[in-house]
Amino acid sequence: MRKQKALFCAVLIAVAGFAIYSALGWKFKAALFPLTVSIPLAILATVQLVLIVFGKEESAEGAAMDIDFSIDVPPEIARRRVLNTFAWIAAFILLVYLLGFPPTVPLFIFSYLKFQSEISWLSAIVTTAVTWGCFYSLFQWLVHIQFESGAVQTWLGL
Amino acid sequence: MFDAFIEGLLLVLQWKAFSLMLVGMALGFFVGLLPGIGGAATLALMLPFVFKMSPAEALAFLLGMHSVAATTGDITSVLFGVPGEAISAATVVDGYPMAKNGEAGRALGAALMSSLLGALIGAVALALAIPIVRPLVLTFGSPELFLLSLVGISCITSLSGSTPRGQLKGFAMGLLGLLVSTVGQERQSGSLRFDMGLMYLWDGLDFVPVLVGIFAIPEIIDLAVRGTSIAGERPAEDLSRGVMQGVKDTFHHFWLVLRCSVIGVFVGILPGAGGGVAQWMAYAHAVQSAKTAKEREGFGKGDVRGVLGPGAANNSKEGGELIPTVAFGVPGSGAMAILLSGFLIMGIMPGPDMLTKHLAITFSMVWTLAIANIITVLLCLLVLNQLAKLTHVRGGLIIPFVLLLVFVGSYTANGQIADLIVTFIFGLFSYFMVLFAWPRPPFVLGFVLGKVIETYLFISVNRYGFTWLTHPIVMLLIVLMAVVIAYPYIQQRRQRAAGAARA
Repeated sequence: MRKQKALFCAVLIAVAGFAIYSALGWKFKAALFPLTVSIPLAILATVQLVLIVFGKEESAEGAAMDIDFSIDVPPEIARRRVLNTFAWIAAFILLVYLLGFPPTVPLFIFSYLKFQSEISWLSAIVTTAVTWGCFYSLFQWLVHIQFESGAVQTWLGL
Repeated sequence: MFDAFIEGLLLVLQWKAFSLMLVGMALGFFVGLLPGIGGAATLALMLPFVFKMSPAEALAFLLGMHSVAATTGDITSVLFGVPGEAISAATVVDGYPMAKNGEAGRALGAALMSSLLGALIGAVALALAIPIVRPLVLTFGSPELFLLSLVGISCITSLSGSTPRGQLKGFAMGLLGLLVSTVGQERQSGSLRFDMGLMYLWDGLDFVPVLVGIFAIPEIIDLAVRGTSIAGERPAEDLSRGVMQGVKDTFHHFWLVLRCSVIGVFVGILPGAGGGVAQWMAYAHAVQSAKTAKEREGFGKGDVRGVLGPGAANNSKEGGELIPTVAFGVPGSGAMAILLSGFLIMGIMPGPDMLTKHLAITFSMVWTLAIANIITVLLCLLVLNQLAKLTHVRGGLIIPFVLLLVFVGSYTANGQIADLIVTFIFGLFSYFMVLFAWPRPPFVLGFVLGKVIETYLFISVNRYGFTWLTHPIVMLLIVLMAVVIAYPYIQQRRQRAAGAARA
């Protein structure tokens, strides 16, 4: 974990470094605020990195005001589930890009319920239909949100 | 004055105005539940409908909708960890862990009852403050507002941990939030900053995709990892008792609710600060009110006081925001700016007339805030038990719907696929923040306040050079900031001294 924590700090230092480097090329007015915040950010992240690499292990009371992830699941399974969920999210975004929102909603809901949550065909179809009905009536019919058409429709000239 | 007060009530109770208020409340209820579709955007969408209404009817409709959205925004924050409104983000920090602990009913009861008390206190403040608030608002210029924003960030960062390393992380995250807020075109010089050659970033990053990603994605991932319901394997609580417990908690911590409501009113009065700041300042105050480190331990892990503070401040700030809007025509937030245009559509000119010629209409707003919130909270309390049962539904069945809610909400910000990518990127980043115990609230507050802080800093330096640092209120706020930062250490030392004395 120490290595990953150090890597996270290194990313923060890189972000701050990039901000400083970019801001140095701007006009004074535009550069003032980003420099004012990115320089101390770089310093604080570096101090944290040094503490991680050379200091003692952090006490549990380090960050008091946020949630903790559950630790009941074995790490290997947890890692697999995390990757799995991020893959579902990425697939959802990819589908929206390819097909647009309206076709993606039923496709995604059905696929997730059937293949990830493993519920019966009938329940998956009924739940998908109800969700699609709610989605259509609320976002398209009532609120009139304009959803972009997907890349596939554009390629096909639809 | 009293006649106008009663006349204001009668204006709201006229059948047409009252019916329109109910319609507005129904709209506000759903808008509050849906992430991304903010109260301000809905106000703008509904403006064309007020042309044919009388001023009292239009204000009942618009204010009824707006005030209810702030109340119901807390519901999704508690149940799914997804802020229904940007101003409900702080409720996630303790509300969602309470749901995970099987106390969803209690958290919802507390959120709604504190919202009601906050709204009533805000309404009373609006009624009382108009004649006396003018000098206060005029005392606060850009330097004072700049420092006040910094005090807000300091409150949160200093409470990010009781150890120096925890605080260091809090400050770093606050600075990162400020840095992320600088993405896009700089207002004074027009220069593009960190735009990566993408036109999408010219206007900067929108609040909704970032906030939803920061708060919702790690919660969804955690739910998927656990493979249980939100409330886990815990036995279903006695839900009705849970809701009533939340209501009792509100009165048990009445003084905290009152103080957080006052914070909400005060922040609401100040132009530009808004609900994003009020909720976090109230949360920070709730944490600081804990006298011992042991009392403070529960925050972030499901302490009801962490729900009560932001709940009260969110709603009291509505009354506060209306004060400068009505009295001087200076809107306290984006939503109030839209409401101001509603005033002009109705032929009402904010300013001294609102305290003389149109006093009854001003009081009708006070009544609308109070009545709309009372009705909403009473109705919500009736259905809360059913809503809380959602936390016992298997996670695998909840996740696709929450994801849908998250991404449709994020998409409504700009109507671009890039909004979804921003949500994903910040969600991923936020996942690592939680994993490595870097606090998210300072980042969010820095991001929300960044543009305002930069503008105030620029105006202060341009207008006063560096002499603004010697303004009495500025100096007072600098001292306050130092006290806020040092407070956890002072508290720790006191406890050690007390412990040593006992030993």
